[in-house]
Amino acid sequence: MESRTTARRASIKRAKGNIDLTFLVLVLTLLVCGLVLMFSASYAYAYYYEGNSFHYITRQLVWAGLGLGAMAFLSTWDYHIWHRFAWLAFGVTVVMLVIVYFMPERNGAHRWIFIAGQQFQPTEIAKFSVVLLFSHMISLNHDKMKTFQYGILPYGIILVIYAGLIIFEPHLSATILIMGLGVVLIFVGGASLKWFGLGMAGGVSLAAVAMMIPSINERAMYRINVWKDPFIDPKVAGFQTIQSLYAIGSGGLMGAGIGNSRQKYLFLPEPQNDFVFAIICEELGFVGAVLIILLFALLICRGFMIAVKARDRFGMLLATGLTAQVGIQTVLNIAVVTNTIPNTGISLPFFSYGGSALSMLLAQMGIILSISRQTALEKE
Amino acid sequence: MVLLSNLPDSGSRRRLLVVCLCIIIAGFGLVIYNLFNIQIRQGDFYQQRAIAQQLRTTPITANRGTIYDRNGNTLAVSATVWTVLFSPHDITDEQAVVLADGMSEILGVDREFVIEKAKNKKNYYQIVKKKVEKETADKVIAFAAEHEIAGVSLQEDSKRYYPYGSLGSSVLGFVNEENQGAYGIESYYNNTLSGTPGKVVAAKNAWGTDMPFSYQEMYAAQNGNSLVLTLDETIQHMLDKHLETAVVEHKVRNRAAGIILDVKTGEILGMTTKPDFDPNAAYEIADPVMKAAVEALRGNDEEYQKALNEARFQQWNNKCISEPYEPGSVFKIITLASGLEVGAVVPSNHFYCPGFYMVGNVKKGCWKTVGHGDQDLAAAVRNSCNPAFMMVGQRIGGERFYDYFSNFGLTETTGVDLPGEAIGAYHTKKALTNPNDYENSLTSSSFGQTFKVTPLQLVTAVAAAVNGGTLYEPHIVKQILDPDGNIVQTIEPKAKRQVVSAETSAIVCQMLETVVTEGSGKNAYIPGYRIGGKTGTSEKIDQYNKTGEMRNVLSFVGIAPMDDPQVACLVMLDEPTLVNEYGSTIAAPVVGSILADVLPYLGMEKVYTQEELEKLDVYVESQVGKVAHDAQSYYTREGLNAKIIGGGGTVLSQIPAAGSTVPKGSTIMLYTDESAESDMVTVPDVVGKGGLVTNKLILNSGLNIKITGVGIENENAVAAKQSLSAGTQVARGTVITVDFADTTLRDSF
Repeated sequence: MESRTTARRASIKRAKGNIDLTFLVLVLTLLVCGLVLMFSASYAYAYYYEGNSFHYITRQLVWAGLGLGAMAFLSTWDYHIWHRFAWLAFGVTVVMLVIVYFMPERNGAHRWIFIAGQQFQPTEIAKFSVVLLFSHMISLNHDKMKTFQYGILPYGIILVIYAGLIIFEPHLSATILIMGLGVVLIFVGGASLKWFGLGMAGGVSLAAVAMMIPSINERAMYRINVWKDPFIDPKVAGFQTIQSLYAIGSGGLMGAGIGNSRQKYLFLPEPQNDFVFAIICEELGFVGAVLIILLFALLICRGFMIAVKARDRFGMLLATGLTAQVGIQTVLNIAVVTNTIPNTGISLPFFSYGGSALSMLLAQMGIILSISRQTALEKE
Repeated sequence: MVLLSNLPDSGSRRRLLVVCLCIIIAGFGLVIYNLFNIQIRQGDFYQQRAIAQQLRTTPITANRGTIYDRNGNTLAVSATVWTVLFSPHDITDEQAVVLADGMSEILGVDREFVIEKAKNKKNYYQIVKKKVEKETADKVIAFAAEHEIAGVSLQEDSKRYYPYGSLGSSVLGFVNEENQGAYGIESYYNNTLSGTPGKVVAAKNAWGTDMPFSYQEMYAAQNGNSLVLTLDETIQHMLDKHLETAVVEHKVRNRAAGIILDVKTGEILGMTTKPDFDPNAAYEIADPVMKAAVEALRGNDEEYQKALNEARFQQWNNKCISEPYEPGSVFKIITLASGLEVGAVVPSNHFYCPGFYMVGNVKKGCWKTVGHGDQDLAAAVRNSCNPAFMMVGQRIGGERFYDYFSNFGLTETTGVDLPGEAIGAYHTKKALTNPNDYENSLTSSSFGQTFKVTPLQLVTAVAAAVNGGTLYEPHIVKQILDPDGNIVQTIEPKAKRQVVSAETSAIVCQMLETVVTEGSGKNAYIPGYRIGGKTGTSEKIDQYNKTGEMRNVLSFVGIAPMDDPQVACLVMLDEPTLVNEYGSTIAAPVVGSILADVLPYLGMEKVYTQEELEKLDVYVESQVGKVAHDAQSYYTREGLNAKIIGGGGTVLSQIPAAGSTVPKGSTIMLYTDESAESDMVTVPDVVGKGGLVTNKLILNSGLNIKITGVGIENENAVAAKQSLSAGTQVARGTVITVDFADTTLRDSF
């Protein structure tokens, strides 16, 4: 327990060293691409539904500005201060995840908290808080990570709390993402590999048991069937996927050119949101889509490099978790729009419309930058 | 202050690398692979489906080509009309009410209908009225502009106009709502006339509205080509007029058909079916009687619709090509030509008709039950003697009969460029050569019974028999013009084959001419022209077997001029009501009337025989103001009589008046006092009386007579019609025209 006290005492001081410029350039590049392409994807939808082509982009720009401010601000902090907020963040998250159930339902789910005319999803906070809390706990107890009592049990309990609250919103994709982040951190933190094998076996058997419940089985089987062939229900369950495939397929190798998507004219529902990448594929083609993916890959590589070179275990884990969040979310989002996995609501970092999420993301990038100040990386 | 023990160890770094590789290689690799599949490998599949939902194609109508007659008169032409459309998304409820008032007045549609259309948001466009003329369309737009209603628009369409109404409608056909040819030339040449429609391809959004950021591509329409027909509007009009009169006069129950063919080229100069329809309103029942019969069924939807459809099909149907019938004695022309050609008969052959002919054990009668006695071949033709032709048929034999029947084109369609050409029913070679079947096949076929051909097949075959022996494919389109009027294609006469020799043809012509000058076709005689022809009456045996009522088809084919045949005219009256004894002679005078109009129009000079010259009419010059005796001697020199009335020396008035034509030998009344006005006489009743009696009656009444028809020299002539009805008071000297018919002219079947 001595180390924990030491950490708490760590003074809040201005970080020394310079931020990693490569990472910053990648973040800004993705942000600019995201804003431009989201505007292209959204203006027709905004025109018809909001009466103003600039409806989404103006809001997104405001949030991006706030986010950049937060990023700049947090990048100057010494990241060790976050040790202090780990349990607080957990507590706040749990409270908000409970409050969500008392909020009005939208699209058949309790995912949003509405306050002062704004709305946000507590799961965005949850993603961060799980990364923060796990980084905090693992960095303090790394020497006992091989044991079940310290290496698995607490994390398991926390993940069950999160998952239990989120899955009944219902919000399957966020549940999967948070579980994934938790597992990544425990894994990198040094937990014994056998637990992952056991965990996987447990997960599979849990899924098998769930599938024996007729109502779940029926719904799940239908979703799987629509996933395998969206054309069996082209008007409802398969509609968005089909329209997404039309958009992607229409792009071909070189795309229709930026601004020239036709699927965004009300064919593809909410093209500014989870399915923005389908419009990007239509406008920029296979070449453009791969370039965007490449940008993400570079960002993720750089993020993990910062983690590897981090000054201490907490910095490494925090950078790992925050980078992994971007990586997993990007893979899942593109997998959804390409119908690689069943359709589930998950947004594309930097690209999807959603102001608070974008601000949150940029703030987290600020934390990575602050970690990068204290690394041995060559900062170009 | 960071503890050294808290530094990341190499194990964590390795695990970090695993996570990184998992995301980059497995995650991104998988989605890139799937993107490659969707965009490159299956790109076309998705793109085509996407385009199908994204693009709206608006057709641009191609102008339909014009149909001209051979002289460039317009028979069918398209003009631009407009479709009035609402876009209900742009019309408020208050505007809908305003529109209901305005549109019901301008377009004559129901107010409720307008409101319903204005509020129906199911489709982006609602059609309010189609085929609106420009003037009305302008009013609609002006109204919308005045009331500031945005949701009213016009769409271009075209409408087909037939300036001559029902003239030649069964040949021209008509177009349907979509401007596609539905019948006749319009249908047969639809592809030529309609051209290729263009289109505007515009991107739309999922709501179906055009996008504000518009994508639009236009493909211009290729206008249709025009047609120049072989039809001559004037000839067609003459044919229509006389056939229409005949249908009314003889109460023809099953319509009549008429064809005028250029025998040297196969060009159809006129073709009609009466009664027919007005292609400007093809779906209306034109015949008032039939319309009333159909309307009577209103209320019973199923039967009404059935009757309506039947009536429509009937009025559209071109009888000349679609309704085969038993040609009767007209067919003897073909038997005659075949017999002469194969050498089965020669003109010097004699045939004895006792009033019947024995076919095996079956006794088949002649239409003249007392028999024609001894007759040479030409007389047999004149008499239309059935036993003689049974003998001719037997001499030809079944095999050769069939071959010539076939060579004359009667076992195949004529190939005319019109839709719906039927092919008749005929005896096979096997039946014709079967001795046990002669009665039904060969002998009956010889005089035109027990088989069916279409009027066009028959007139085409007759043309071959008289034109020197060549069978032509009849056709109705002479030229195809491009939209600028340049000739794209000229359809040349198409000779199918030489059926008989020129010599045979010449003999046939000679014999047919005697039919009109001396025989059963006298009623088609026109002074000054050498006309040949053949009558035909057939009984509808198949219908008799069904209903027990015998109905007839009367026909006549006329050919002129016989020294060098140019045109053939076939008239066929299906089921006329025979009200009097002259009934069986009705088709020939119809052809006579038609040819009397057509031959001068075609520029054929009248060449009178000496005999004809004597009967010629005299043009009456004015002698008013002349000395009465000088006037009298003037008229005498002109071959007229003149009678001076009154004591004055100068002619004050004369009847018939100057400028009229009167037959030679007529009497001119020369009045030298004022008695002309009170000198009235009563017209006697001469119908049904003999030639001499009629002449005497009219002259004794103080009137002049003009004789038409077969003439009074014919001992069988009887007055059939008089131009002024009996009992009328007319001025002395007035000319009464009396039409004579030969009552003995009945035909065989």
